[in-house]
Amino acid sequence: MALRVIYKSPLKWTYNLARAQSTMSAFEIQHKTPLIKKQSVIPVAMYGGRNAVTMLPGGGIGPELMEYVREVFKYAGAPVDFEVINIDPHSEESNEFDYAITSIRRNGVAIKGNIETKSESAGVLSRNVALRNELDLYVNVLHCKSFPGIPARQKDIDIIVIRQNTEGEYAMLEHESVHGVVESMKVVTESNSDRVARYAFEFAKKNGRKKVTTIHKANIMKLSDGLFLETSRKIAKEYPEIEHNDMIIDNCCMQLVSKPHQFDVMIMTNLYGSIVSNVLCGLIGGAGILSGRNYGDHYAIFEPGTRNTGTAIAGKNVANPLAMLHASVDMLDHLGHKPHANLILDAIHKTIAEDHLLTPDLGGSAKSSDTMNHLSYTQGLI
Amino acid sequence: MSLITRNLPRIFVQSAQIAAARNIHCTSNNASAALAERPDSRVTATLIPGDGVGPELVYSVQEVFKAAGVPVDWESYFFSEVNPTLSAPLDDVAKSINKNRVALKGILATPDYSHTGELQTLNMKLRNALDLYANVVHVKSLPGIKCRHSNIDCVIIREQTEGEYSALEHESVKGVVECLKIVTAKKSQRIAKFAFDYAVKNNRKKVTAVHKANIMKLGDGLFLRSCEEMAKLYPKIEFEKMIVDNCTMQMVSKPQQFDVMVTPNLYGNIVDNLASGLVGGAGVVSGSSYSSECVVFEPGARHTFSEAVGKNVANPTAMLLCASKLLRHVNLPTYSEMIRNAVEKVLKDGKIRTKDIGGQNSTQEFTYAVIGFIV
Repeated sequence: MALRVIYKSPLKWTYNLARAQSTMSAFEIQHKTPLIKKQSVIPVAMYGGRNAVTMLPGGGIGPELMEYVREVFKYAGAPVDFEVINIDPHSEESNEFDYAITSIRRNGVAIKGNIETKSESAGVLSRNVALRNELDLYVNVLHCKSFPGIPARQKDIDIIVIRQNTEGEYAMLEHESVHGVVESMKVVTESNSDRVARYAFEFAKKNGRKKVTTIHKANIMKLSDGLFLETSRKIAKEYPEIEHNDMIIDNCCMQLVSKPHQFDVMIMTNLYGSIVSNVLCGLIGGAGILSGRNYGDHYAIFEPGTRNTGTAIAGKNVANPLAMLHASVDMLDHLGHKPHANLILDAIHKTIAEDHLLTPDLGGSAKSSDTMNHLSYTQGLI
Repeated sequence: MSLITRNLPRIFVQSAQIAAARNIHCTSNNASAALAERPDSRVTATLIPGDGVGPELVYSVQEVFKAAGVPVDWESYFFSEVNPTLSAPLDDVAKSINKNRVALKGILATPDYSHTGELQTLNMKLRNALDLYANVVHVKSLPGIKCRHSNIDCVIIREQTEGEYSALEHESVKGVVECLKIVTAKKSQRIAKFAFDYAVKNNRKKVTAVHKANIMKLGDGLFLRSCEEMAKLYPKIEFEKMIVDNCTMQMVSKPQQFDVMVTPNLYGNIVDNLASGLVGGAGVVSGSSYSSECVVFEPGARHTFSEAVGKNVANPTAMLLCASKLLRHVNLPTYSEMIRNAVEKVLKDGKIRTKDIGGQNSTQEFTYAVIGFIV
């Protein structure tokens, strides 16, 4: 473990050494950080009907997209005040990041781009993952719905992907017991599997969904994925009106690209969720469209669905603003500002489906700013 | 869907024409006014003129709104404790404010003695009905008003649903009256969080908790502890505590040291009035009361000025600033700025002054002067 760190960057090693002497080794940092944090609730920041929301623009195209969100909110008159916190991706210090977490604790709700973590030293965790673990956002929901007016491989898809968000392969427990042999742990707990399954079935019940499919690889990982599968079967018995079946991840991917309409609500562990959501996004038009929602018991974070930074197209005015806008619509929905959410949704619909202002990633030639101007303009008239 | 069909012709304007077209749809005579806002959306707000000079001040606001073309419709209620037969029922008023989410309110007079044995005043009933727990008074030196101190800019945030105002008083033995002051952890945390969130949102640097925990160790102690706990969540905002007696002394000698202050009910009431006195009196300070759902904007120092009723001498500045804040709250920032700037220009010019700030002009003349700077 330590050897690898030295190999990659001697400078960081001295830094880690200095820190390790005062506190813990990188190994200990990983292994002594519990996965589930106990939360204490504080009142949500909503005053006079206006909500305070933490905004983490993140790296790549994040800042541009957030600018668009703020512009649209201004036109729509959405009663939301943003607290913007920028996190420097190169810094190893975690002050700003800790402040961001504190801020989300205070506000209860956040909208975020993808936060880059440039550091590769073992002590510095991926900040996206750390954020979810720290706030215990145990479920990620991605609503994959075909969008009228966007060219895509498959039509009329309507699938909910519900993903365990805090453990599994993302437990970040890796070590090198013998030189040249690295072990990475996948952690599945009954309590977390239970929470995710329950969320999925409750969601299905509330939204009139018919079927829940558990995605797993229990034929190989008989204990870990087995536990996940068993738990979801157990919960399924409490919801007899909802059909439950399961599918192995490799078969699932094949079915997704050939016959996606058979799926309704899907639940899965962390890594499979990441793969399946990217497959689905690809099927209906790419990374720039869908939004994802992360929920815990007390907090909610909204972000673009595929969690890509888009560093390559940053500053070129070609990024698709839809994903972040959809995330902001989800956020307004969550906060209970339905009229404003619908207003923005209508405007998006009109811009894409009726006026066909598409950015290059959807095969159009419009600049991001054109789409945005048009969107705001349409909205101004509604 | 009906919205779409109704606006269909307007939607098919080429994107190249956007900038030009947007100007065509301006409704205001001020060219910059409608750029940032959706021109055809109107806001409804509840209006409670109140007692004393309230109706005159509200009239002044309505005149200014009319002149500026502000897209706000009023739902007016006569609401009064001293005139119970004419007053609208509390339920109706509360329902209207709940529906509209915003209200502009004059001051309600409260009789010194209760004739019915009722301990709660109408004001308190309204606050409890709507759970308007946070009162915010922004005390700011205005240009052109001569005072002992200049450059005062502090915000006093007051818990106003518990504490000494719980209306729990009884006479256990004849000649011995007990008045209960209630402090709860939940409400203390809530107001502390409100104060810190206010500071974050408005880029303030410091929050001062005002208390008397050296004497009331349990009651005010709980309030203070809640503030301290909450302060830990806001590492970027300085937190300090000050005993209320010292606070009032500091306020009259060096008021510039204060930024945001968070206080329990009665202390807040006293500090509000003291601070208002420092910048020109009850006629120039605006305030607002927040619940999680709605806001009521009202003058900061609660005086009805009933001796001036009908004399056309009251200063409408406080009410106009309230109206300006109301507009900012409902996402009409351009109109809000316009009215605020106009009021400040009139005060700075100094040609038109009402009696309370050393002039001889009437309410009406002041209002027309403000309108003069709007158009």
